[in-house]
Amino acid sequence: MARPHIEPFCDRDVSFKNMTLPGFGRGMRYKMLSLDADTGACTMTVQLDGGYHQPPGFSWSELELIVVEGEVHLGERVLRKGHYLYAPAGYALPALSAPQGALVLLMYNTGEPSHVESDQHHAEAQAQLYHDVDAYMDLAWAPGNVTRPSVASGCLIKLLNYNPISHAMTFLYCMTPAFYQDNISYHDCAEESYHLWGTSWMMQFGDVPTGGYFWRPAYINHGAFASQYGCIALGRVDSKLFNHFHYNPWSTPVENQQRSAARVYQRDPLLYRWMVSHSHNHPHGPEDFEQTQAVRGEGYDHDQASVSDGKEHSHWHRHEHVHDHEHD
Amino acid sequence: MTFKNLFIEHSRSDEEEAWLQEEIEEQEARFLAIEQAMEDLTPRRARWYQEFFDRITTIGFNVDGDDKRVIPRAGLPVQPEGRRDRVVWKYGADSED
Repeated sequence: MARPHIEPFCDRDVSFKNMTLPGFGRGMRYKMLSLDADTGACTMTVQLDGGYHQPPGFSWSELELIVVEGEVHLGERVLRKGHYLYAPAGYALPALSAPQGALVLLMYNTGEPSHVESDQHHAEAQAQLYHDVDAYMDLAWAPGNVTRPSVASGCLIKLLNYNPISHAMTFLYCMTPAFYQDNISYHDCAEESYHLWGTSWMMQFGDVPTGGYFWRPAYINHGAFASQYGCIALGRVDSKLFNHFHYNPWSTPVENQQRSAARVYQRDPLLYRWMVSHSHNHPHGPEDFEQTQAVRGEGYDHDQASVSDGKEHSHWHRHEHVHDHEHD
Repeated sequence: MTFKNLFIEHSRSDEEEAWLQEEIEEQEARFLAIEQAMEDLTPRRARWYQEFFDRITTIGFNVDGDDKRVIPRAGLPVQPEGRRDRVVWKYGADSED
């Protein structure tokens, strides 16, 4: 049943546990923030003790990591506070160590934490998707209006990861001091946040301090919002983010979901009628031909390809155009 | 969850299954504690709701970004009869109760 609603929670209120799963070695301790009971996907605050060392290897799950405090050595590189990385499933990371210790946020998106020692990517790894960035130093803050209607102007973001198919995002966000936004919001996607520093407030849940966390399933009311002294947090959504704003604190997730569907009907009535009237309710959605169509493959030679009349084709074509010069 | 670009099939060891079960049980306890804490916050939250209504009927409701619209008092919602104030929903719209 996916991850339950964990909100609010503060990792400062619980102790670290030793990581006992195989592959991680000694010196890795964690606080579980949220967990998918079916897949084992989870988000954890992780303390790497001074001298911790993990050999090169990959995870069966895609993973994301951000350095919260200290430094992490990844192969020859040093990842400092604010460094973020995304590693697809099966991507072999170099040896990871923390000579002086480090605190990181670690997210396993598709399965339980795992580490298979290897200096080779798994054959199915989409290695080209790997990326990392110093999110504090090498990215600029951008307005938070990535979707309309938008958050108020004192909420800024740095986009860290984006899935072009699901529109899932990972981002840093901050609220400037004295930020406030007077509406209640819900989304059609799950939302997650970890407060790296500072405190924000939501009308339903009260203060979320440094180390504060939430995993919120879709359609749950949150807001109004405020932050007296500002905050910086890592946020994620698991599919397209749309802000449904309203001012009824007593609406339920089912009512919010129905309102979302009503808005689809009002905005895209033809698509809505087609989906409902033809019972296109397969759990994985209708087929997207762009993802399933037969393709020509690597061996295809475009220039030598024949056209339908059996002749080779060329790129000569005739069209009318205005001359402002002489031809040779 | 739709974060994923890829899921690589693998089997879980008994050790991993045991770890997962332990974490599931601890998460259940964590959830129940949060649910109770949010229930206990209800009287305070009632005041926050009233202050919210006061602001959106005077300063305005954030419609989009910083654009605001003042909500007429007559347009404020009322709490449905018999519906308790609830903010924690275990599985959102799929919650069983």
